Parts: sequence; structure tokens; C-alpha cells
Amino acid sequence: MSIEIQRVAKRFGSFVALDDVSLSIPVGQLVALLGPSGSGKTTLLRIIAGLDVPDSGTLAISGADSVSATPRDRKVGFVFQHYALFRHMTVADNIAFGLTVRPRAERPTPAVIKQRVDHLLHMVQLEWCAGRYPHQLSGGQRQRIALARALAVQPRILLLDEPFGALDAKVRAELRRWLRRLHQEMGVTTVFVTHDQEEAMEVADRVVVINHGKIEQAGTPEDVYNAPCSPFVFDFIGQSVSFPAVIRGGVARFGAMSIPVPGQVSDTEEQAIAYARPHDLTLAPTASSEGGIEAVIERIHAIGALARIDLRVTGRTTPFEAQMSSEALQPLGLSVGQTVRVLPRRVKVFRTAAAPVT
Amino acid sequence: MHSPVADTPRHLTEPAWIRWGLITVACGFLIVFLLLPLTFVLVQAFRQGLHAYLQSFSDPDATSAIRLTIIATVIALALNTVFGICAAWCIAKFSFRGKNVLITLIDLPFAVSPVVAGLVFVLLFGAGGWFGSYLRDHNVHIIFALPGIVLATTFVTLPFVARELIPMMQAQGTDEEEAARVLGASAWQMFSRVTIFNIGWSLLYGIILCSARALGEFGAVSVVSGHINGKTCTLPLHIEYLYDNYQLSAAFACASLLCLLALVTLVAKTLVGRRLRLSMEVADDVPGLVPTAVP
Repeated sequence: MSIEIQRVAKRFGSFVALDDVSLSIPVGQLVALLGPSGSGKTTLLRIIAGLDVPDSGTLAISGADSVSATPRDRKVGFVFQHYALFRHMTVADNIAFGLTVRPRAERPTPAVIKQRVDHLLHMVQLEWCAGRYPHQLSGGQRQRIALARALAVQPRILLLDEPFGALDAKVRAELRRWLRRLHQEMGVTTVFVTHDQEEAMEVADRVVVINHGKIEQAGTPEDVYNAPCSPFVFDFIGQSVSFPAVIRGGVARFGAMSIPVPGQVSDTEEQAIAYARPHDLTLAPTASSEGGIEAVIERIHAIGALARIDLRVTGRTTPFEAQMSSEALQPLGLSVGQTVRVLPRRVKVFRTAAAPVT
Repeated sequence: MHSPVADTPRHLTEPAWIRWGLITVACGFLIVFLLLPLTFVLVQAFRQGLHAYLQSFSDPDATSAIRLTIIATVIALALNTVFGICAAWCIAKFSFRGKNVLITLIDLPFAVSPVVAGLVFVLLFGAGGWFGSYLRDHNVHIIFALPGIVLATTFVTLPFVARELIPMMQAQGTDEEEAARVLGASAWQMFSRVTIFNIGWSLLYGIILCSARALGEFGAVSVVSGHINGKTCTLPLHIEYLYDNYQLSAAFACASLLCLLALVTLVAKTLVGRRLRLSMEVADDVPGLVPTAVP
């Protein structure tokens, strides 16, 4: 079902969790709410679930106003970060819970419930643990049971709060793929919260980047990565290298580089920051090139396919990183202590005043 | 069980004379202040033989006192269980203005002398009290009657259940309740199918402590009861009456009954306490546990 969020705001005391957020999620999409902790992403998810009530704004689930609807009426499935399995119930009872609490008239017969539980256990590949208690399972297993429990009520929308946050890297990667596949099979509109940009990029159809209670950018993972619309998004998604720059007469300058900046041309000087990706930096010996930024090589890690080179611009304290394939590094014959020119192939410049730099 | 001392390297333990000295002091203290009085109660109770001992309980005043004590305890328990769950629920699951005041107020009965508590009820419901004339007009008896005794007992034992539940509920958070709500449970289903099981052992522990205190309550009840033999005397008051009237054997017989009840609650408390710790341990290990079989 589609979700339509209009101008939603929420405060907790003096803390602004959500500030005038509007978002529309079409049917069947898999959306990631991505942001640092405290950005308001979980609050947004809880408002969709009906666990929190917005101070203002509207929420419509498949067209029907839902702000005052109980969680029960919204027909959402919610998977909690720490699973929140009922510790005194067996796995099978946990999964059946949503069906057994229905009013008598709507409640399926015990046989139907059992069949549905078996089906879900089969789907999450944990048939063998029906009679076990949550504390007898590992984190990844508990997470899958939590998902099965949420799906048992056949929700119109599936919401997941940091679903893989508490798991180790290997299990996490496995569950990500699994969630993606599950979403393809079931086609339920799914929203999940994460602070892990890699996870968001890998799993979601659409990534919504949230910071300080506002949506910074929403788009496909490719859009958000390739065309970040704010310094925050550039910084938060993927790795980035930044150089202080000055804009004047429609041109941004940093080091010996000058890049035309679209927008109005003014003769006053404006402070700006130029962002580039580490893998978009070309290194060239000073003798055989010109332009770019001069920097000294501090360290070269060339283990595996990807080589990472730590560099420092003379006079600046923070080093930055350039990345290239190990094959490309070899013929350059770089060595530690050498001065090279750094030539960014793609740069994005943001005015310091226009957008806050975090 | 192996003693930690035996496992500790020599240079980390105290010399033998200090260890034995401490053990002797502790044991001596226990014997003088706990074991001796308990034994004395039993010895006195049976001084005139088993027949006299049993006779003390068949006295109508004694049976009435036992009955009254049990009735007051049961009602106070029921009230405080409901109140304790409600208060703990409010405090643990919601944040609101005045929460700390409420937490402090719950502890008030621990701080106030029971006699003062009894006097407060006399002042409120007694013949000359605030509601005295109203109650007299409507022929309602609170002071010097069962309601007063129940009120006093309830007041004195009010903190026990809430005190046990609050930390337990706070530690458990609201995740499971929220999960139940999202899955479509009503408020009652959430409570009766999730919360009550999670707080079960704590609740039982609180109820046991509460009943132990309620059975033995003397001060507050003494003020409101009026000491009418066979009517408003609870077991502790009856013991005092017997003692004051030099019926030592009967007094100690009844006292031994209270002691027995105390021992029973102690054993129950220990058993429940053990289960409670077990259930807390299970609750504590959130991720780590290794599964016993692999898919």
C-alpha cells in the first residue's frame, strides 16, 4: 500500500525529531530511511506504525487518513531493532500471536494458524526451532523469527527498525540479500531504517537521507551517490574528500584548479567547499603535469585489488585518501614522501553559506 | 558450592584468626538475636504441653483473630497488587511530570511510623474526624472495625509490590508491549498475554514480602482497631492481649503461629527469588546465546 506523509513534525521536549517532513512511498517499493543517530529516521518509522503520534501533519496509508488509526487498524508489520520477541513464548507461539489476538469472529481456526506458522517457519528456514524459546536462538535467527511474526498478520506495509544493526557482518550481509529476495517475492511495501549507508544502497529501491529531522535527499541509490544535493549527503554517502574553495565570477577555485559553478555570477568572493570521491582522484608526477592540487604522499596501502594512498596538502593537517586499482598504481611508480598533483576527475562545489556543512 | 576463600591465593586472604574471628562474631550475633528468641517462643508455647498449645487456638477469640488477620491480609494484598501493577506500569512505561514525586510517595509508608499512619486514619474517619459525622449519619463503621484494619494494613504494605515491579519493568522496556500492539493486541491482551508473564516472578516476590508484612502488622492496626476481643483483634493484637493478661503459654502459642507463617513466607521468598534471578538472567542475554542446533 502507498504511504503519503505530509508536513509531519514531532518534538520530544525541546528536541526536534522531525521538522516538516513530507514523503510519499508508492506501492511495493523498498525504501531505506538513512541518517545518523538522532536524525529522526526511527521517529518517522514509528509514526508510520502508529507507535508515535506526530505533533502536526498528516499520514495517509493507501489514501486513508491514518494519523489517529490504532496500530491494529493500520495493518503494518514492525520488526524491532532488538527483535522484541515474547520471551516466555515458543517461537511458534510468537509467530502465531498476531493471529490469536484477533477478535473471535476474524480469528482463523487453530489448524489454519498452525499451517500459517509452519509456512512462515519454512520461509525463514527455521522449521526446526518451532518449539524453542527466543533465548535459545542466535541473533540472526531471532531476527528472522521477528520478521516471520510481523509477516504472519499479512501486513500491508512492512517496517523494520535497524533490522540488521545488532548482528555481525557476515550474518548481516546474508540477511540483506534475503530481505531483498523476500521483498521481490512478496511485493509488500517495505520501509527500513538504517544508519549504514552501504546497507541502504545495497538493499533499497529508494534511499531517503534524513538529517536533523529533515529530508536531505530522496532518490534511487545511484542518484543519491552520483548526484548528492547537499554537502551532508556527499559526506554521509560513500567516502568523500573535501577541499576549501573560493567562488568568484562564477568560477570556483581551489589549489590550481578552477571549475565553473552554475547559478548567478557575482563578483563578490564566496567561501565554498569542493567535494570529490577518493576514486575520482588521478595522481600525476609534478614534473609531467600541471594544474590540480599539490600534495605529499604519506602512505601507500596496496594490498588486494584496491590501492589506497594517503596524501596531505602542504600546510594542512588532515590527510585525505585517493583510491585506484593496484594495477593502475604500479606504472606510476609512486613512493612515500613524493609530491604529486591530485587531479579530481569529478568535483561538486557547495557554497558554505547556502547549506550548512556538517 | 566451593568457598571463594579456598580458591583465593594465600596472599590475598586475611590471616586465619581474622577469618575465624569474623565468622564467630557473625554466628554469635545470629544465635543471640535470631535463633535464641525463636527457640524461646517455641519453648514457651509448649511449656504446658501439646494439649494446652492446641487449646490456645480453639479459643473463640483466637480463631476470630486468625480469621481477621487472614481477611485483612488478603484484602490488603489484592489492593496493593492492583495498585502496585498500575503504579509500576505508569512509572516504568511512561514519562510524565511529577514521576519522581510519585516514586517518592510510594516509599512514604516505609518512612512513616505505623502508629502515625494509624492516627491519620483515626483523624480522617474517627468519630471526631473529618468524615466522622458523615460516616455516622450513613451508619458506616471504619474505625474500630474491619475497614479501618484493612486500610491501615494496606497503607503500611503499600510499597512492596510496586517497589519490586518498577526496576523489573524499567529494565524490560516497552519493546514487547509495542510489538504486541502492532500485532493487533488490545491493551488487555497486551497486559494479560505479554506483560504479566514478564513480571510474573517479581510480582510473586512482591506479594510474598507484602503478605509477610501484612500478617505481622501491629502499630497502625493497633491504633485503628480499638482492641475489641473476638471482633477487631488481629493475631498480633491478640498476642499482646494474652501477654498483658499473663496468659503466657497461649500468647507464645499464637506467637509461634506467626513465626511459622514468617518461616513459610521466607522459604517461599527464597524459592521465588531464585526463579526471579533465573528469569532475569535469561532476559539479560540478548544476543550471545549459541543455538543448540544448526539449520
